Amino acid sequence: MDPNQAPVENYANPKTCLFHVLFKGAALAFYILSALFFNSFVIIFVVTVLLAALDFWVVKNVSGRILVGLRWWNEINDLGESVWKFESLDQESLARMNKKDSWLFWWTLYLAAAAWFILGVFSLIRFQADYLLVVGVCLSLNVANIIGFTKCKKDAKKQLQQFASQTIASRFQSTVQSAFTLV
Amino acid sequence: MSHNDTVPLYQSSQSDIDEIENMMSEGFQSGPGTVLPARPPSPIRPSIPVTSSPFVQSNLPPLPPPSQKVMPAPVPPPSLPSSAVNFGGSSEGGKTIGGSGFGSPPNTLTEPVWDTVKRDLSRIVSNLKLVVFPNPNREDPGKALRDWDLWGPFFFIVFLGLTLSWSASVKKSEVFAVAFALLAAGAVILTLNVLLLGGHIIFFQSLSLLGYCLFPLDVGAVICMLKDNVILKMVVVCVTLAWSSWAAYPFMSAAVNPRRKALALYPVFLMYVSVGFLIIAID
Repeated sequence: MDPNQAPVENYANPKTCLFHVLFKGAALAFYILSALFFNSFVIIFVVTVLLAALDFWVVKNVSGRILVGLRWWNEINDLGESVWKFESLDQESLARMNKKDSWLFWWTLYLAAAAWFILGVFSLIRFQADYLLVVGVCLSLNVANIIGFTKCKKDAKKQLQQFASQTIASRFQSTVQSAFTLV
Repeated sequence: MSHNDTVPLYQSSQSDIDEIENMMSEGFQSGPGTVLPARPPSPIRPSIPVTSSPFVQSNLPPLPPPSQKVMPAPVPPPSLPSSAVNFGGSSEGGKTIGGSGFGSPPNTLTEPVWDTVKRDLSRIVSNLKLVVFPNPNREDPGKALRDWDLWGPFFFIVFLGLTLSWSASVKKSEVFAVAFALLAAGAVILTLNVLLLGGHIIFFQSLSLLGYCLFPLDVGAVICMLKDNVILKMVVVCVTLAWSSWAAYPFMSAAVNPRRKALALYPVFLMYVSVGFLIIAID
């Protein structure tokens, strides 16, 4: 299949997409439905936060790489300063990424954060501080991923622009040079 | 076209530009729009390993000594056309060495998932060993927890909360919630305390450190859960409290001005004492 054609109609990585959505959905579903089955807050808290943490790990390390070709992390360099590192595939591979995959990636990220926010508002209205704690933790994990990947995407775009301006400048230079040598 | 007129904001940006330029110069020779023939064999994924090693050229800021580096050994596969793809190829061999503790290995975008899991797990273990157990690296605290992560602290806090909650005979949920909130908020506040005292510490590094220092208290809580003797509990809690404080001491004290060391360390000690009381008082 020629990779430069229009994107394929199906998901290119169904298993990864499934996992990407699975843990998010499981955390939300467990939180919402658990009040019907469990009396103990501890179990609700631990399972929900565990699922949210697993989701954070999967999104950051697996589905971010595979679905949109982006990755972010933090390092501390020799001078003791913290440096946020962003890594992205080169332009050709990025263009080759499945559109459906990346659409799913970004939209589920935003929707999950919005859902947690709404649940947080509910628990605030009902003055349930301990449930607010759970929602707070899950929301912060989701928001961290959103911020990280958004910054990574902007960094990738900036690299593209820099590269584009660099190659335009270098082509211009070589054209001018060859023009002068011909003259 | 030299690379010196662009300011590399991140090392990976510069490396990508290097690599794309190399690819473009190859493209000029072989005609635009053609794909380079011999790519390094990628794992079965649609994405292709092209991000080259950030630790390649000499125009990078000073690097740590080569003994710590994950630098791919100089084994250039002769069949690859461009030098950029060469780095991609040779760093594939190097990418699984990532557990050396310096940071993520160069080409992490296409590693198999199992490698990522192993790398994270080994990082947790190495951080734990670094912080809690005696080892030569404690002399240089800033360098020691360079590779911070929050998974270890997360597990330890939840485990401590669960243990306390299990030991409690009534109000288990409240105990857990209080323990979790106390530990999490306590870590954040202690970090802010150090920062406000004018100390030099990275926020997440400090959170990570305080979380790892909970490990001895976890052990103490488990022992107290198993045996219900009050005297034993007090002894165990004192020992583990001292161990936790000893673990946290070099990192916290190195971060602040020597005259303010006590101001930074006293709240840490206080928090561990309060957790110790929680452990003793639960029945």
